[in-house]
Amino acid sequence: MKVECLVEKLKSAAVICERSAGKNLSLPILSSVLIIASGKSLKLRATNLSLGVEIEIPAKVTQEGIAVVKADIFNNMLSSINSNQNIDLELVNDNLLIKTKQNTILLKSTPSDDFPTIPMVEGSQIEIPAKKILEAIKSVYFSASISDIRPETNSVYVYGEDDMLICVATDSFRLAEKRVKIKNIAISPILIPLKNTIEIIRILENCSGDIVLTTNKNQLSISYNGTYITSRLVDGIFPDYKQIIPKEHTTEVVVLKQDIISALKLANIFSDKFNQVNMTVSPIKKIFEINTKNNDVGENKTKIDGALTGETVEVSFNYKYLFDAFIPISQDSVNLEFNGANKPVVIQGGGDMSFTYLIMPINK
Amino acid sequence: MVDTKQLWDNCLSEIEVAVSKPNFSTWFKNTHIFKEEGGTVYVGVPNEFVRDWLSNKYHKLILKTLTAFSDSIRGVTFVITKNTPQSDKKSNQDQPVSLNKELPLQDLYINKEDNLNPRYVFDTFIVGPFNELAYAASQAIINKPGAVYNPLFIYGGTGLGKTHLIQAMGNAIKNRYPDKKVHYITLEKFAIDYVNSVQSNKPNIFKEKYRKYDVIIMDDIQFLSGKERTQEELFHLFNTLYENNKQIIFSSDKHPNYIPGLEDRLKSRFSQGMIVDISEPEYESRIAILRAKLRDANVSLTDEVVSYIASSIQGNVRELEGSLNVVIMQAQLKNKPFSLAEVKGLIKNNIKPKKNVAIKDVVKAIADFYNIEEAIVYEKTRRKEIVKARQMIMYVLREDFNVSYPLIGQKLGGKDHTTVIHSFEKIKNDLKNNPTLTGELEQIRVLFK
Repeated sequence: MKVECLVEKLKSAAVICERSAGKNLSLPILSSVLIIASGKSLKLRATNLSLGVEIEIPAKVTQEGIAVVKADIFNNMLSSINSNQNIDLELVNDNLLIKTKQNTILLKSTPSDDFPTIPMVEGSQIEIPAKKILEAIKSVYFSASISDIRPETNSVYVYGEDDMLICVATDSFRLAEKRVKIKNIAISPILIPLKNTIEIIRILENCSGDIVLTTNKNQLSISYNGTYITSRLVDGIFPDYKQIIPKEHTTEVVVLKQDIISALKLANIFSDKFNQVNMTVSPIKKIFEINTKNNDVGENKTKIDGALTGETVEVSFNYKYLFDAFIPISQDSVNLEFNGANKPVVIQGGGDMSFTYLIMPINK
Repeated sequence: MVDTKQLWDNCLSEIEVAVSKPNFSTWFKNTHIFKEEGGTVYVGVPNEFVRDWLSNKYHKLILKTLTAFSDSIRGVTFVITKNTPQSDKKSNQDQPVSLNKELPLQDLYINKEDNLNPRYVFDTFIVGPFNELAYAASQAIINKPGAVYNPLFIYGGTGLGKTHLIQAMGNAIKNRYPDKKVHYITLEKFAIDYVNSVQSNKPNIFKEKYRKYDVIIMDDIQFLSGKERTQEELFHLFNTLYENNKQIIFSSDKHPNYIPGLEDRLKSRFSQGMIVDISEPEYESRIAILRAKLRDANVSLTDEVVSYIASSIQGNVRELEGSLNVVIMQAQLKNKPFSLAEVKGLIKNNIKPKKNVAIKDVVKAIADFYNIEEAIVYEKTRRKEIVKARQMIMYVLREDFNVSYPLIGQKLGGKDHTTVIHSFEKIKNDLKNNPTLTGELEQIRVLFK
């Protein structure tokens, strides 16, 4: 194998590959990256048997060949090399010789026979702007359950409905739903494992154009100019979440997002070990107040200006769950809809129905 | 032909030698033969990564090994299956860690409005002679809440299913009449609520909160004793709800008449509807309960073992379940059926020792109950109150502890055994037409539990 390419391109591919490579698995070769030089390109492939990626970068191939090197070492090495120059990769006596203007590096390579293939998914294909699907997934994934006891909530639920791409995640204490308008979206419901979702987000951050999403019962793949990602899907049924989203409310609050975020940040300093944040809404007295109390630190009360309607209500939340709600909201104002003390609260961006966040209060 | 499982096991042991250990454990571990049809073997694999790898890399090896075992095999196809048999087994073993199944999402948000636990339903409630009256009353109430038997007062010892019954009633009423507001509360919570309302100076909020319900279910009423203000508050709440034909359901471990420190006006009100007791399940019901629990846990035990557990654990359903859980858990861990001897060893700690009380202790307890000096019982006095207590002692010793007539006479101040027989018969006859005496006896028996 003998090939020449740009350091920068190789770097960005190596970063992705390192993250997708397997760790602590019974098959040591999974922690490596497979490098294939063929035709007019260089392909880097890594997989942990749940997620797999293959990235193709343009290169000048003088001699075709395959090498397998440790993913973490390969990535660390490249990150210390100057960008904006060319790099030569050559297989010499089963070792990878890497040369730039300044550096000469010899990397141990292992035989490629045992390196797994990654599945090429066959199934229904759709083309979606990367930005849109990224926005949808990023708005909800943090609400997914971290524990893998219930695989269906340890994943992000994605489905299409009436020209809408809908992503949902819940850990049973809070639930986030994001709807993004995409014409003619026909995608049957899938559950993407949370771990893989996080990696997919990372990879798609760098994609500006359209992606091709292919799904079947067990597997999904995303491909765009030279990058191919494939992930297994969770075989399960996402809970019927629509029935728990309240349709009415007894109290409504509209405030500026920045105001409530600053109030919450202050409140968090004084929150107790349960991260409890108390909220008082009294439309009659025109008071919307957030207070926290910690016996060791002190206490605070913050009044927030806003439009209040409905009944008086007092509820407590876990700070983390509450704060998470405001991150995906891009509008300047937010709506909070209450249904009495022990009922879930609905949070949405002002005038924006596309994002819905449902949070259970702390039981008093 | 060898069955497919056997075939695949044989095949795997060959392959295990041919490939490296990491490769084997990564690619072959969770595979099985899904089916065999017309010479083609369908191998079930967990995901596409494995499917692709096996069909690209090991197809030849697998086919060669398979044909060595069975001539009829012409091809191998790989399919993705949800669960391999091995992982099925694993999930079964995981189960005992939480015997209760995960609640589905709609139950995760337990309705704070009614406080009911959706787990308690009539489907899992076992009816036997010991609780059929209570069950019948509950069904009548579910058909017409507020119209018949108001209030319903259920009493019985601990762990006999009172809470299960009343919560199941709440759930059933809620399901049948979605517009009725049902609320379950323990007396302790009620008392705390009341104290809080006094503390924060918001008694009206407290009053309103409970008056808006259509069905109130109050558990563990016996804790009312000594809480005078709470009793008064409950009295007013009761009157308001009763006036408006709202159903009220109480549970307690004692008959209202024997809850110490309960005001008379409450006693009489509790008695105005229907008072039913749940007694201890008899042997046949215990067997039925055990069988139902085994079915839920998906475990089978031999009849011999079930009847042993039922006969050795008497009384309390909760303890019965506890002992059974130990056996189920062990059975699932070991994954093989138990012999009777093993079960005996497992639950030996759960079995209460046979009642064995010193006669002196019985005398003391009953003397205390009637508020007389213990020493007077042994004296030759014929004062009416002493005689009654003495006769009661004799009756209890004979009936509950099986002490012989002569021994009882000898221990109670050298009386003749005929005296003891007379006392025993007298109490026995009195019990038939004197409800006060029956009540006293029940109270005394509680002391020896």
